[in-house]
Amino acid sequence: MNVIRAIQLYIDKMITDAGPGMKMLMMDRETISIVSMAFAQSEMLQKEVFLFERIDSARSNERLKYLKCIVFIRPTRDNVLRLQRELRSPKYGSYYINFSNIIPRTDIKALAESDESESVREVKEIYADYLPVNPNLFSLHIPTCLQALNWNPEALERSTQGLVSILLSFKFRPAIRYRAGSNVAQTLAKKVHETINKETALFSFRPPEDGAAPPLLLILDRRDDPITPLLNQWTYQAMVHELLTINKQRVDLSGVSGVPKDLKEVVLSTEQDEFYANNLYANFGEIATTIKVLMDEFQKKAHDQRKIESIADMKNFVETYPQFRKMSGTVTKHLVLISELSVQVGRQQLFEVSELEQEIACRADHSTQLQRVKKLVAEGKLGAANALRLVLLYAMRYERHANCDTSGLLKLLLDRGGRSYIVPRMLEYISTVARQELFNTVKITDAVKLTRNLIKELKGVENVYAQHECVLKGTLEEVIKGRPLDAQYPIMGNEVPFRRPPAEVIVFIVGGATYEEALAVHRYNQEGCRIVLGGTTIHNSGSFIEEVLAATAGVPFKHSRSLQQFHQAPPGTA
Amino acid sequence: MANPFGEPIGDEGASGSSFVHGTDSDSEILEGFLCPICKNDLRTPERLTVHVEQEHSEEQDLLKSLKEIFSFAKQGILKKGKKKLGPYDSPNEASGVKGADVGICPTAASSQNNPLLQPTVVQAVGCECDHMAYFKAVRNPRLERYASETNKLIIRLDKLLDGCPTDPDGKKRHEQSKVPWIDGKLVKLCPSCAKSFGITRRQHHCRVCGSVMCDGCSLYLSFEDARNIVQPNPASPTTRNRPDEGIEAPASETESFRVCEHCLHLLMNRMEMQDSRVDRPPITRLYERLQRERADIEPDIPMYRRILDSLYEGDVIFRLSDASALREKIGRTAERLDNISKTVLALPFAAGSREEALKKAIRLACVSYIKECMLSIPPLPVEEEIKKIQVRRRQETARREERERMLAQEAYERYELLQAGNADPTSYNNGSSSSSSTASTAEMTNGRFAPAAAAAVATMDNWSGTQAGAATNPNSTADPLIDQINIVKGYIRQAREAMRFEEVATLEQNLSELTQEFYNRQRLASQ
Repeated sequence: MNVIRAIQLYIDKMITDAGPGMKMLMMDRETISIVSMAFAQSEMLQKEVFLFERIDSARSNERLKYLKCIVFIRPTRDNVLRLQRELRSPKYGSYYINFSNIIPRTDIKALAESDESESVREVKEIYADYLPVNPNLFSLHIPTCLQALNWNPEALERSTQGLVSILLSFKFRPAIRYRAGSNVAQTLAKKVHETINKETALFSFRPPEDGAAPPLLLILDRRDDPITPLLNQWTYQAMVHELLTINKQRVDLSGVSGVPKDLKEVVLSTEQDEFYANNLYANFGEIATTIKVLMDEFQKKAHDQRKIESIADMKNFVETYPQFRKMSGTVTKHLVLISELSVQVGRQQLFEVSELEQEIACRADHSTQLQRVKKLVAEGKLGAANALRLVLLYAMRYERHANCDTSGLLKLLLDRGGRSYIVPRMLEYISTVARQELFNTVKITDAVKLTRNLIKELKGVENVYAQHECVLKGTLEEVIKGRPLDAQYPIMGNEVPFRRPPAEVIVFIVGGATYEEALAVHRYNQEGCRIVLGGTTIHNSGSFIEEVLAATAGVPFKHSRSLQQFHQAPPGTA
Repeated sequence: MANPFGEPIGDEGASGSSFVHGTDSDSEILEGFLCPICKNDLRTPERLTVHVEQEHSEEQDLLKSLKEIFSFAKQGILKKGKKKLGPYDSPNEASGVKGADVGICPTAASSQNNPLLQPTVVQAVGCECDHMAYFKAVRNPRLERYASETNKLIIRLDKLLDGCPTDPDGKKRHEQSKVPWIDGKLVKLCPSCAKSFGITRRQHHCRVCGSVMCDGCSLYLSFEDARNIVQPNPASPTTRNRPDEGIEAPASETESFRVCEHCLHLLMNRMEMQDSRVDRPPITRLYERLQRERADIEPDIPMYRRILDSLYEGDVIFRLSDASALREKIGRTAERLDNISKTVLALPFAAGSREEALKKAIRLACVSYIKECMLSIPPLPVEEEIKKIQVRRRQETARREERERMLAQEAYERYELLQAGNADPTSYNNGSSSSSSTASTAEMTNGRFAPAAAAAVATMDNWSGTQAGAATNPNSTADPLIDQINIVKGYIRQAREAMRFEEVATLEQNLSELTQEFYNRQRLASQ
């Protein structure tokens, strides 16, 4: 179960089906990112795909009849209309049409009627309709999916399509479970269930042999775990996303000073960058040593390369040159990234902030924590974003506490120009379940954790920056161990629930997944589980706050009436 | 820091026993080289492989996985011998394996090198749904209708062209006589622009279908195009662009036919289809050459690596000259590919056009293919080194055979003790002799025949020396086996000259089996 592999297989098949010869690939805004996340352009060139075109870009009238045109687009109304126009006066010799999802029959009829010069050779559906981020992580790239705490209809449609597509690409007919009490999770589960029942021909896979449990599609709600996306992360991928933002495998470094020109934007792909693939989940300390080793090696090699004395040396140089160049690119890229990360860590005092964040998230100690938050927020050495984050965590943690002093903290925040209006919105965003359970469970395990920490400290391997465990981890634990799920995660439809744990699990988080959760999934997969995580998007704290603001726009304040003076956003902001 | 390739494989190295754990369904734990099917302890990996080969020949998958595990284990052990390498220390190794499949990411690596946890690691391509049948069902009847209509138009066009007078009046009479014109009185409005006809807007007739339209809606088909449509000339495809953009006002009405939009569209579509069938611009020809060259050389590159590996292993199947000949061939092809792609790049296309982008992309693809696949092949080994390796290998083989002979002897003696008296001693002999024929390729050498095989190596050179002379006179040998051997040798020579190294490898295999058989017979005869 590797989502990148699944997409690669589809694209490979799509290209080989078009046969040998020069080819061009016509895509739309979304499919172009799907393709680019699975393959580098140079790899596409080796597959004889030489030109790339957007179907929604301006058409040139140049005719290249000797080219084969592979069309890979989402089955939207606009795309079908554009393709009809293209087929009426075809620019290319032949067309191989691939839709990335289920397409209505009427659209196929319309296309067939437009194909007057008989240039279409193939019309197919392939279910590559999601962005593969890591082998175990996919995204649908919907930045905000809720409005007034319910589905935005377009986002619901896209999410349904995305989930149907991932099920079909793994040939799963799953049991669908959703988080009890979450409206959005239930709606999505229902939509997916409906589609599966409607498309019986597509979902007619043989049931698993010897009565094993069917794969599980588990739909969760971000509102149940608003803590995870707010915490500072210390593993490589999560950290890069938190501090520099990864957008479809690309990191924009143009704002960083002293970056060489060709590294203004770098690509981080597990498929093309071995170093990255090996260190996705390495923590910041490890990665600094790793890059040091890599650099030493590189310098040694560079040194070897430099002393070209004989013809034999020269030949040797040419022979190893491609690898050498590849390596040099990797080394500089990661060096730039890591040095920027450490600059940010220092500037934002992230060690201090992160420790306190973890404290608030994992331990109940109201007065000390309040003092520390107050001190950090008031001091003003901290960036506004980090101060806001601490206040958000405190406000959620101690919402019900007798001596809760959120309003005091908000005043402090407001005094230094922080966006304090976000805090009440966050309190409206989090679900009832989160409100009741999120920190309760923590309290129960507090004692256990404390002793564990003590032991860790004795051993000297304590990592105070990674104490927090996301809710997903516990959920998966229950799924894998085969504990009864019906109360918290009811099954959709009238299928008889299986008592045995499923062999494959697809988890989808409405409201966005995080790289911390991907790490949790990765750990389970290393133990032999087969889990894939997906989300409407992949969040860092910044994008998550935007999502919260969009989701709560226009929602009446229910839980945060006491914070009335902070409800209003200052004019000019969202 | 972990070596991404070394570590998982290294783990595998220790799994000789853990493999058995995994398959053992009973609660009791057995250790050693157990047969996964009958749970006998076979002591050594070689014996286990041969045992499974013979006793459980139907379990092909198992045998395969067994062999894989042992080769993994060997690699693991060998690796451990070296010092720990960083991820980029062994670029050749890394590029030697197919990129997407192995060790790209930690999860993939762990899942692939760990068949115990995940038995079905090969991911198949997902679901598909083909709509072409329905598409054709809608499209084809429409196309047929168009086609018959177009054909009718073309027949009329042919008639019109045939003996068309040059003076306008004669032309009009000629046109009207060939195609029945619609009665203009019945048409009050122009069918395409819906404006009413009158003194200022006069009626005109389409010369091929005879329908009515106004002057503004009239289009023209030049005689030249018309002739091309009626009699397509494959040698010189019409180079002009689709004319519906630029043909509104032709130079003279005498040199063209007035046609309606519908007819022109049908005729032009037909013309375009004819053109694209015969139109083969130079870029396609060059590209085909490029692909042919590439297809030719593609199998040679892994072959070269195999030859090198076998040379470094100390095998005698290939010679150093084979490697150098193949290397030279790859180099020459690389040069040719480079030249062709340069010619592609030199094709004149308008700046900023898609064709220009295309030619650049082709050149780029070619250059990176040459760089990454052809120039990155490892250099030729040094001859002395290979000789040293071969000598060492021969010594090692001799030593191993000696050791195995001892072991077998011991085992045999133990067996005889156990079987003392009532056992049938020939059964063991039978078993071992049958295994010797199957095991000639496997590393397991039956102890009893080992000295004979070693002797064979020593005498073989002598023998082949005399046979070189005998080969010129094949009738002189009475033994058909020797004839066979000579024939195979001749084949090997030919295959080598033709650089078909795949065949060389199989033939060498045959040859060694034949000589083995020959010596077995000789030995039996002398006893």
